Amino acid sequence: MAAMNEIILVSLILIPLIAAIVAMGFPKDNPRPVWYFAIAVSAVTCILSVIAFVGYDYTEGGYQFTRTYDWIGDPVNISLALGIDGIAAPLVLLNGIVLLGAVLISQTIIHRSRDFFVLLLALGSGVFGVFAVQDLFFLFFFYELAVLPMYLLIGVWGSSTDFGTFLRTKEYGAMKLMLVLVGGSVLIWVGILALYAQSANVGSPTFNMIELGELAKAGAFSHEFQRWVFPLFMIGFGILAGLWPFHTWSPDGHVAAPTGVSMLHAGVLMKLGAFGIIRVGVILLPEGASAWMPILIILGTVNVVYGAISAISQHDLKYVIGYSSVSHMGYVIMGIATLHPVGVTGAVLQMFSHGIMTALMFAMVGSIYERTHIRDTNVLNGLIKRMGTASCFFAIAGLASLGLPGLSGFIAEFMVFVGVFRTYLPLAILAVIGAAITAVYMLRLLAKTFFGEADPRWDNLPDSSPLEKAVGAVFVAILIVVGVWPAPLVRVINIGVDSVLQGL
Amino acid sequence: MEWAWLIPVFSFIAVPLIVVLGPRLPAKGAFLAILAMLGGLIVFAMVAVDFLQSGSNTNGCGISEFTKSLTCLYSINWFEAGSFVGDSSDGIRLVWGMLLDPLTVLILGLITIVALMVQIYSLGYMHGDPRFGWYYAFHALFAASMLTLVLADNFLLLYVAWELVGVCSYLLIGFWFERPSARDAAKKAFIVTRLGDVGLLIGILLLWSEVGSFSMVAAFEAANNGSMSQLTATVASLLLFAGAAGKSAQFPMHVWLPDAMEGPTPVSALIHAATMVIAGVYLVARSYPIFVASGDALTVVAWIGLITAFGAATIALTATDLKRILAYSTISHLGLMMLSLGAFGYTAAVFHLLAHGFSKALLFLGAGSVMHSIDELDIRKMGGLRKVMPLTALLFSIGALSLGGIPILSGFWSKDEILIAVSEHLPPAFIILTFMVAFMSALYMGRAMFAVFFGNLNPEHEHAHDAPMSMAVTMSILGVFALVFGLVSLDWPGNFDGIGTLVYFEKELHFHLVPWIAGLSTILAVSAFVLAYFIYARKRISLDSTRAKFNWLHKAVENKYYFDECYQWIVEAIVLTSARLLGLFDRAIVNDIGVNGPGWIVKKVGISMKIHITGHVYSYALGTMLGTIVLGVMWWLRSVG
Repeated sequence: MAAMNEIILVSLILIPLIAAIVAMGFPKDNPRPVWYFAIAVSAVTCILSVIAFVGYDYTEGGYQFTRTYDWIGDPVNISLALGIDGIAAPLVLLNGIVLLGAVLISQTIIHRSRDFFVLLLALGSGVFGVFAVQDLFFLFFFYELAVLPMYLLIGVWGSSTDFGTFLRTKEYGAMKLMLVLVGGSVLIWVGILALYAQSANVGSPTFNMIELGELAKAGAFSHEFQRWVFPLFMIGFGILAGLWPFHTWSPDGHVAAPTGVSMLHAGVLMKLGAFGIIRVGVILLPEGASAWMPILIILGTVNVVYGAISAISQHDLKYVIGYSSVSHMGYVIMGIATLHPVGVTGAVLQMFSHGIMTALMFAMVGSIYERTHIRDTNVLNGLIKRMGTASCFFAIAGLASLGLPGLSGFIAEFMVFVGVFRTYLPLAILAVIGAAITAVYMLRLLAKTFFGEADPRWDNLPDSSPLEKAVGAVFVAILIVVGVWPAPLVRVINIGVDSVLQGL
Repeated sequence: MEWAWLIPVFSFIAVPLIVVLGPRLPAKGAFLAILAMLGGLIVFAMVAVDFLQSGSNTNGCGISEFTKSLTCLYSINWFEAGSFVGDSSDGIRLVWGMLLDPLTVLILGLITIVALMVQIYSLGYMHGDPRFGWYYAFHALFAASMLTLVLADNFLLLYVAWELVGVCSYLLIGFWFERPSARDAAKKAFIVTRLGDVGLLIGILLLWSEVGSFSMVAAFEAANNGSMSQLTATVASLLLFAGAAGKSAQFPMHVWLPDAMEGPTPVSALIHAATMVIAGVYLVARSYPIFVASGDALTVVAWIGLITAFGAATIALTATDLKRILAYSTISHLGLMMLSLGAFGYTAAVFHLLAHGFSKALLFLGAGSVMHSIDELDIRKMGGLRKVMPLTALLFSIGALSLGGIPILSGFWSKDEILIAVSEHLPPAFIILTFMVAFMSALYMGRAMFAVFFGNLNPEHEHAHDAPMSMAVTMSILGVFALVFGLVSLDWPGNFDGIGTLVYFEKELHFHLVPWIAGLSTILAVSAFVLAYFIYARKRISLDSTRAKFNWLHKAVENKYYFDECYQWIVEAIVLTSARLLGLFDRAIVNDIGVNGPGWIVKKVGISMKIHITGHVYSYALGTMLGTIVLGVMWWLRSVG
């Protein structure tokens, strides 16, 4: 078991990466074998991620499963240092689950399926890497590894949609996503180099986040320095988290992306940004974080309300979910910005909960679109009659998103409210109102799309495939279990958050 | 008594069982829900007996310093978050805790009895429905949540249960979602109550930040001993009241309840008459120490209650749909309960809550029986049904007379207590209007009763049948309650001294009648029924001329004071339009200018640069030469300067 603990994180990163390379050797025109291969690989990583989460000892806390592989020694000092804390552990689990779900749901990818799964597995590897790594150089490396495949995944396998008054091509969606995210990466890279340079000023240069954290605690980074560097991370990572006003890549990206990619995009990828703000920004630059949090929390509140109101006006299913993601990521940002133990714990739990919930929604929308070739809520109606399971699962995810107790979203949002109420009272009121607006657009969507008279057009519509139902059922079960018994997640997150906030 | 937590648990367990196993079971698993409810009722009975026999020395119990009555607390930790080292208020704990006091016990009794009756009744009423199993799953979930709501000893658990009953109401109103009206009514109910819940949630957070925990007792203590300022108490109570007003359909958030009648009638009986809609009244009663500490908040409660009671009663007089008459009557009576709470009539409000619950559930089930038989709800097309469905007619009349306030029936006693409280604590204008509400209440009840069951039978309805067994039995049991429940207010021989000695706030209330109030209310009720008899049963008095004289008023009332139109306009003209504008702003300004703009600029700059890349060696040579000259001049200038 001890040996297992040593290699678990590195296997999580390397198995999908190596599998991506192996998958290149699969036959080009036969979609089945490579799909089975991808399922096997993602099933293994899913099991490993469960082991990592369950094996994380929350009574002890701190970084666990740590292992360092030296890469470039003095004077550059780059090593692949691995380890997860209470914040990363649930996110690793999230990625394991969503990756498997996304691969399973991508059964329908026929066109160049080999290349699709190569990219998807590489993306998964990158995400695991960001969550598990403790070295800024590799953090950036894996961050890019997670982001870059999106461009091709959307550009090649995506879909273009004509909305009447305007057109959104897949090329546009992919290009915008790429350029905006790379813009964010530039800021992050500048920030990382600044930290590296500053560490060189006070001793030996290092990318290692543990060592940098020690330096931060020892006061090696001046207040002035922190105030200049923190916004680089805040905005750089914030862009990936859908921070207003840099959020428009996200809904357009969702609309253009194929189902499996949307699931990973909203389910996991956006969490990388929020995770980066905590892991790099708050831990390494605590004073900068304190100075900038008022700005961040205002932007987060704008995200919540703006995203929710924008979602009301959308009538494409994927746009509604896309803006809903912008709104829900706002709660994550708000929670982080409170720097309050309950608020930050809520933010991390919201990342997990929103990841599962949105992935479920996209999976069900994909299943609906596959059969009807329509996503317009003004045209779709009465679907529950024919596609009962998909509609029910979507409805449950919708109820989770409007914060219904008993489902995971409530616990997370409630903790964020508590944290915000303690720190920025007026914004808490706006946040609670945001949740009420969520109810408006979610219920309108449910009423229009799923309920109402059955339309004769759908008379021959088959229900979702058993596979889609199985994926949906597992996701729904997670939403319910976390909603009813959040303690296993909360206690792990809490220990991680506590140690982060002790540095403040 | 420690086993009180079991009361909701049976039903919670029944939900997944019905959903998963239901399709393979006989009757789609409906009996699971009924058995679970029966189990809840039995445990409740044991707990209630235990509670009535225990004193302040029983384990976990004590005399509450707020209500001065016996209160028992039991709890299990659910989950916690935050750091509890040092400042404990920096964390939150969700506790599965129970608070048992007379208020809880009485309302638990109402819920378990009515829920069981309605579930059995539905066996007949919903027979053959394609989603029979789901119906019972939702019912079980509702019952479990409602019981939890009443048992909760902390605001967080209460909020959890509060939202869950809301979603069950949503699912059951929209149960026949193929009908657009049902679908829209469900959506409306959820959204309107959700708006009130914004207030409730903020109020709960405010109390939490004030006292450092979600515990109700802690909040009451802070309100009681003055460590919570009066302003905070007022703000907190008004926020809680916002949630209560949404759930209990108080003005101006009453609009969802009449529409909620789109749901199956047993649902209206259980959720929208007897149990869920009383949650708001319950919340105010439960948080009474905070409301009392505020004082001003109680005045607001009284005003809102009166406006609601009066306005809804006038609408009930003109409504023509049997279920809608009952719905407006429910709103009006909920208003009376709120008014009573605002007038320090704690006992009266709780008493009326129970009496109204039994009577109104009976009325709805009676209306359901009529619907089941003749599939008609417009009272103008009905008449003389007592000839074909005598049992339903008898039971409906008991319910109507009880709510109308005819002596000896339950509604009379509870309404009387409210009138006493209002006359003692509020200005004279209130008591006059309350009497008018009581009169109208009897009038519309008489109207419904006489127009439907008396007079001439519509020939189309000659083959109508009376209720089947499951419906008849359950209605009869509720009929007994509507008949005799009010007698608990009397001073009985032995040591039971009226309901006021069981459930009270601060001081026991012994049974007393104020002769002029009892007399006047009796006269009003009887005359209203007589009037209704002559207008609707014998058709001796015609209202056409009066209606013509007050045409504008009648129009306004008939259109429910245009609230729906007003809200519709707000939603369409303000909410949706601003959402559309924001959506456009996001696409046109933020995206097309903010995001595409820089891209466009880069592209333009690139194109303009392209002009200079001509490919002609001469132009490059010219550039090189000019550059050399410029550099040379600069070097010269520097060396000179």
